[in-house]
Amino acid sequence: MIATIALVVFVTVTVGVYLTLSRDLFRVVLGVAMVGSAANLVLFAAGRLGPTAPAVVPVGQAALADAANPLPQALVLTAIVIGFALVCFALVLMLRLIRDARTDDALALRDAEPVPTDPVKPPATDPAFEPIAGAEPRREAAR
Amino acid sequence: MTGDPMAQHAAANPDDAMSVAARAAFVLAPLGLFVLVAWVLATKTLPFDLAWPWIPSLGIEFRFRIDGLAALMLLMITGIGTAVFVYAGGYLAGDPNQRRLFWMLVLFMVAMVGCVTADDLFVLFLFWEATSLTSFMLVGYSHARAESRKAAQQALLVTGTGGLALLAGFIVLAQATGTTRISDIVEIVPTLGETPALATALGLILVGAFTKSAQFPFHFWLPNAMAAPTPVSAYLHSATMVKLGVFLLARLDPAFGEWPLWEWTLKIVGSVTAAWGMVLALRERDLKRILAWSTVATLGTLVMLVGLRGEGAAIAVGALLLAHGLYKAPLFFVAGNIDHGTGTRVIDRLGGLRRQMPWTAAAALLAGASMAGMPLSFGYIVKDVILEAKTAVDVFTFAKAANTVFGSIAVAVAGVAAIRVFWLHPGVNEACDAHECGPSLIGPPLILALLGITLGLFPFYVEDLIAMAGVAMIPGTEVPVIGLSLAAGPVLGSLAVTLAVGVGIYLLWDPLHQRFERIAARTGRIGMASQYERSLTGIPAFAAAVTRRVQDGRLPSYVGLVAASAAVAIVVAIGQLVASGAAAWAAIAWPGLGFAGAAALVIAGALVAPFVRDRVVLLLAVGLVGFGSALLFVFAGAPDVAWTQFTVETVFVIVVAAVLLGLKRLGRGASVAEPRFRPLALGVSVVLGAAVAALLMLATAGPFDATLPEWFGRTSVPEAYGRNVVNVILVDFRALDTLGEIAVVLLSLLAALPLVGALRRRRASAGDVR
Repeated sequence: MIATIALVVFVTVTVGVYLTLSRDLFRVVLGVAMVGSAANLVLFAAGRLGPTAPAVVPVGQAALADAANPLPQALVLTAIVIGFALVCFALVLMLRLIRDARTDDALALRDAEPVPTDPVKPPATDPAFEPIAGAEPRREAAR
Repeated sequence: MTGDPMAQHAAANPDDAMSVAARAAFVLAPLGLFVLVAWVLATKTLPFDLAWPWIPSLGIEFRFRIDGLAALMLLMITGIGTAVFVYAGGYLAGDPNQRRLFWMLVLFMVAMVGCVTADDLFVLFLFWEATSLTSFMLVGYSHARAESRKAAQQALLVTGTGGLALLAGFIVLAQATGTTRISDIVEIVPTLGETPALATALGLILVGAFTKSAQFPFHFWLPNAMAAPTPVSAYLHSATMVKLGVFLLARLDPAFGEWPLWEWTLKIVGSVTAAWGMVLALRERDLKRILAWSTVATLGTLVMLVGLRGEGAAIAVGALLLAHGLYKAPLFFVAGNIDHGTGTRVIDRLGGLRRQMPWTAAAALLAGASMAGMPLSFGYIVKDVILEAKTAVDVFTFAKAANTVFGSIAVAVAGVAAIRVFWLHPGVNEACDAHECGPSLIGPPLILALLGITLGLFPFYVEDLIAMAGVAMIPGTEVPVIGLSLAAGPVLGSLAVTLAVGVGIYLLWDPLHQRFERIAARTGRIGMASQYERSLTGIPAFAAAVTRRVQDGRLPSYVGLVAASAAVAIVVAIGQLVASGAAAWAAIAWPGLGFAGAAALVIAGALVAPFVRDRVVLLLAVGLVGFGSALLFVFAGAPDVAWTQFTVETVFVIVVAAVLLGLKRLGRGASVAEPRFRPLALGVSVVLGAAVAALLMLATAGPFDATLPEWFGRTSVPEAYGRNVVNVILVDFRALDTLGEIAVVLLSLLAALPLVGALRRRRASAGDVR
């Protein structure tokens, strides 16, 4: 069972990180979501996959016996909800960013970059990272 | 070169000036300490230990130890300190900042006292850095002058860099020996042999000591530090602080003394510094800088003497430490008096000053005699001791040659400082209003110089002290009875040689100076001073280039850097675990059918995701991963988690679908065009994914501490009256955590609301336009 989870974790972490390394902002956010579910699986499996009975004390007994470990379940429950809140916020932030910057290309987001006349730290000159066609480098003054 | 503006601006603001009583009160600080040290020496047997606990968890204590070497340094710090405080009172009388100078001097003195008495590596380092910092403040005392600020910065950067090396060396040394107590370390190290860790520590400590004591190639900062007021130069850059490096080497000599690396490094660096410092003294025309270079040469000689083996060398170190303090400090005072009286220190413009400044001339003559090693002075006796030390062991010729150069140029420098400006060249003196200084400026040099002569006549007064200092460098031996005597031995022969060469150099000073100026103009570009300048501009440029590389403004680079760092950290941790042989891997067993099916769903969703261009399909693939992991939870006995995951995943898909709709409205329905296969990104992600999976396999194979789950399972019903243990944990045992979780969700909602609102407004206004 652990080996299966490890395989699942391997695939989801790899694909999730690969997505976050994309220049497409939407893929980046979904990659974060996928890495988040992989992290939940790791946390869950770290508490050992023993008996598969739910962690519920049967009526008539006073203590839990021969059931799944309840502690990682509680932790993962919390993590799922917080991860969801994080991804939702990231989505809204992304939508707003795409609207304001008029691009969904991460490489075209260069407002925080140094100006070409900066004496110490001139901007990157690598042509491979020029914004792709269609993306506008700067938004005009809105409102 | 003009005089010290602080001295000339005396009484610019009389309201801020210190009264005589206030200055006298400050003099009580070193004087009181001097009396205290003398009292301790008279009543206690050395070594005398003191300790207070400081960081018990690291075994670090405020541990102090006064042995012979520390006692000698203490007497110099407080004794010469008293002279310096008196002198500073007169030299900067009326200066509005004098109070600050005095406080800095007091702080410096305390730091020095702590440094020479510390018996713990890190306590010593603390005070060591304190001397660097106070030295920075004191060199930069005339902060209105750019030259002074630059010199202060240089002194701080050079000694501060050395201080960092020293700290690293101390840490390695403490780890290798298992203790931070110096008196234990010097006993442990010889039993350990020459291990690589100790060699590393040795190299780093040598860098620290060499920067502090201005040894080649870090010698250049000391003459520049002459921008400090004269009392500061006399105190820090001649008598005390620059001797700390020598002091540290002498402290650690019992530990590393038998190493050839130690012996040869000290001998070679010391000899080169001694010879080179003396040669560079010839280049200068400023009296103070000439003295500074001769100080560098003396420090080189001291380092070389520490490197020599044998009792004689250890005694010579103690004797030269004392003699140098007693003749160099007065000579600095003399230079300050000349500056004070004539407004210049350039030797070309000075001459025949004995008529205007008779007392200063007398002090210069006495101190000069000691520096030149004339009979009846303490310098003569030291010469004798050094000669004995060198004949006692097999000294290589280079050291001998360096010593001859040192001795003869010491004669020449003494001649310039004591004879040339006072007795010769009458008429070149440009300042016709030259005048003698007040008693507080004449007294200190005269008394110190007289002390040098007195000890020359009655050396047995300090015999025991110097012998004890020598013993501190060679533990385990009895206090030797050394005969510091006036006996005319072989030293007279060597004295004649150095005297003849020295007088020759003195007479040829001006032509030699021109010759060296020409050579120096050529070597200046590759010298250490210009390397320092280059590094000052080079370091920011290098930092900018690195920043440009690391922070290139591309989001994928930043994410990649974080992911790669995480991967490297995990891989290194796993590698260490596997290398230690403690690693065990979880057994591979076939899962149940349901579990396997859920896993296959997740994997299928994940594998599709990177290949799809359509954002809706991508959403479905990611959704499949979420639902699949919910199924995994079902089959692993976690129905509550599965239920939450199902709910969250459903809401997630709805939210993302809404966002996709918004994107479509913005005309951004399709993905950004980029290569489907990005090898670097794939490499980083595969490594990180494999590392996390391997970490999981390792972690779950280890022993499991079931205390917490059992406790929750046992107490859930009787204490919280709940049968679903997961829910009980969430809402009862860890209720505060759950409250925090809810707060996070609410906060993210609060943060998202304005963004969503702005989107609505935009859409509305865009609709109006359409």
